[in-house]
Amino acid sequence: MSAFFGPLESDGRVPARQQTRVASFLVSAHGALGRRFALALPVRLETAWQTELNAQFYNESEIISLLLRATSWTPDLALGYLAAAWETAWFPSPAEGIPDPSLALAVDLAALAHAVHAGIRPAALLPAEANPNDPFAMALRRVEFESGRLLQAQIMFLKGEGLVPFRDAVSAALERRHAEVRRLWREMLESVGISRDENDAKP
Amino acid sequence: MTRGIAAMPFLSHGSYRIRYELDGPADAPAYVLVNGLTQYAELWAAYRDALIARGFRVATFDLLGQGESDKPALFISQDDQVTALHLLIQQLGGPVFLSGISFGGLIALRYAIAHGDRLAGLVPMSCFAELPPQLFLLGNALRTGLILGGTSYLQDLLLPMNVSDHWLAPVLDKLDSVKRQGWLVNDVYALQNLMESFLDFQPLTPQLASIGVPTMILNGEFDFLTPRALHETLRVRIPNSSLVIIPRAYHAFTLEKPALTADLLARFADDVLAGRWHGNKAVWIAPEEAGGDLVPFPAGYDHLRAVPVHGAVT
Repeated sequence: MSAFFGPLESDGRVPARQQTRVASFLVSAHGALGRRFALALPVRLETAWQTELNAQFYNESEIISLLLRATSWTPDLALGYLAAAWETAWFPSPAEGIPDPSLALAVDLAALAHAVHAGIRPAALLPAEANPNDPFAMALRRVEFESGRLLQAQIMFLKGEGLVPFRDAVSAALERRHAEVRRLWREMLESVGISRDENDAKP
Repeated sequence: MTRGIAAMPFLSHGSYRIRYELDGPADAPAYVLVNGLTQYAELWAAYRDALIARGFRVATFDLLGQGESDKPALFISQDDQVTALHLLIQQLGGPVFLSGISFGGLIALRYAIAHGDRLAGLVPMSCFAELPPQLFLLGNALRTGLILGGTSYLQDLLLPMNVSDHWLAPVLDKLDSVKRQGWLVNDVYALQNLMESFLDFQPLTPQLASIGVPTMILNGEFDFLTPRALHETLRVRIPNSSLVIIPRAYHAFTLEKPALTADLLARFADDVLAGRWHGNKAVWIAPEEAGGDLVPFPAGYDHLRAVPVHGAVT
């Protein structure tokens, strides 16, 4: 196994099977975030921080739109059960140790978004010789770049003063979501012949 | 093509794992080398070879949040890094010399303050004990650069700031490949966590006097990220210290001048072990090349200035 996409096609593009599996995972994860941000987004904004919800929703939508158009899709029979496992993992799961149910759900959403935006680096799968004109390669670079920016809202919320009394609960929720996302990402990559370093094998 | 390293050893700090490497004879005096902010353990490879050849054992590791060590999701403190370093040093017998660059130098200082009795010598490089306005604002700007532009943009900011034209010129047309490994092993959130461990930073200056071990402070002549005045604080406050100025060097001189720096590290440890080291808060100028003589900074001149100004002796 390699730590990167490949072997690349003769024109330096990522093989369609790897594109399909990786893009499906990303669409599933960012789609779940987009849905949850949409549900949390009021029709009329009432506080300043909700502007960030609006931005997060539309950025997630942009990522999905980009992947749908940039990926060379190919039939993949395993996607049915894989997608079911992924979608189940994204279900809301209120953070334990936070008595306010709506705050516990918000922490869970932020923790999941932090894990997806911080822990998944699709552009780091591209080998140095990948074709820079491949739209899929460019899409992955953009997804990773935008994720780094989207992440800032989660960091500000999870480190915010309102959650200081619940720091242990926040840490636990974050570590749980990170471990879960890391495991699913690793398993999906291994299924298409990509093996990250052994540090990622941590459960 | 693989990025993984087979059978690498790890230390455990709570639920986190710290990747480390020990090389050289187990009964030899040890050098422990601490990475800068965006670095990783493999960048010490030249030091590993040079110091082992001089009879030392060498310990390198990735700080929490770096390279192959675990990257805590959000909350990480500099005390966690000191604890990780302590776990590594507990693996070593015999005399231990501790050196670190920049962020790693700060962690080494913290370690020397907390566990100085475990050390035979200390070498802070491109280091600081406090955040005066220029460094504070530069740090904030670098953090903003990381947030807005990612790891690659942070590297773009740091490279021209920290190494010389002499080093940059031959690699100018292949900077992407120079940056690639650092970009691969460093994650935005983990770097951001390391940078944000300064948000509640308190100056170490009042505690520097408690560092009793022989200390050689290394500072690049042209380091404007952590300029001379920051090293002067270390020299004045650490009792058994000397300041050594590396000619024509910038902040990241460990990358640019590994042969010279490794030679200085080995000579310092040899002098300490032989009982020849006397810090005297002296100021020295390092040779241009490994093996050359250190010369005292000219008497009567101010080593804090870039022009030859007569200065008061401190």
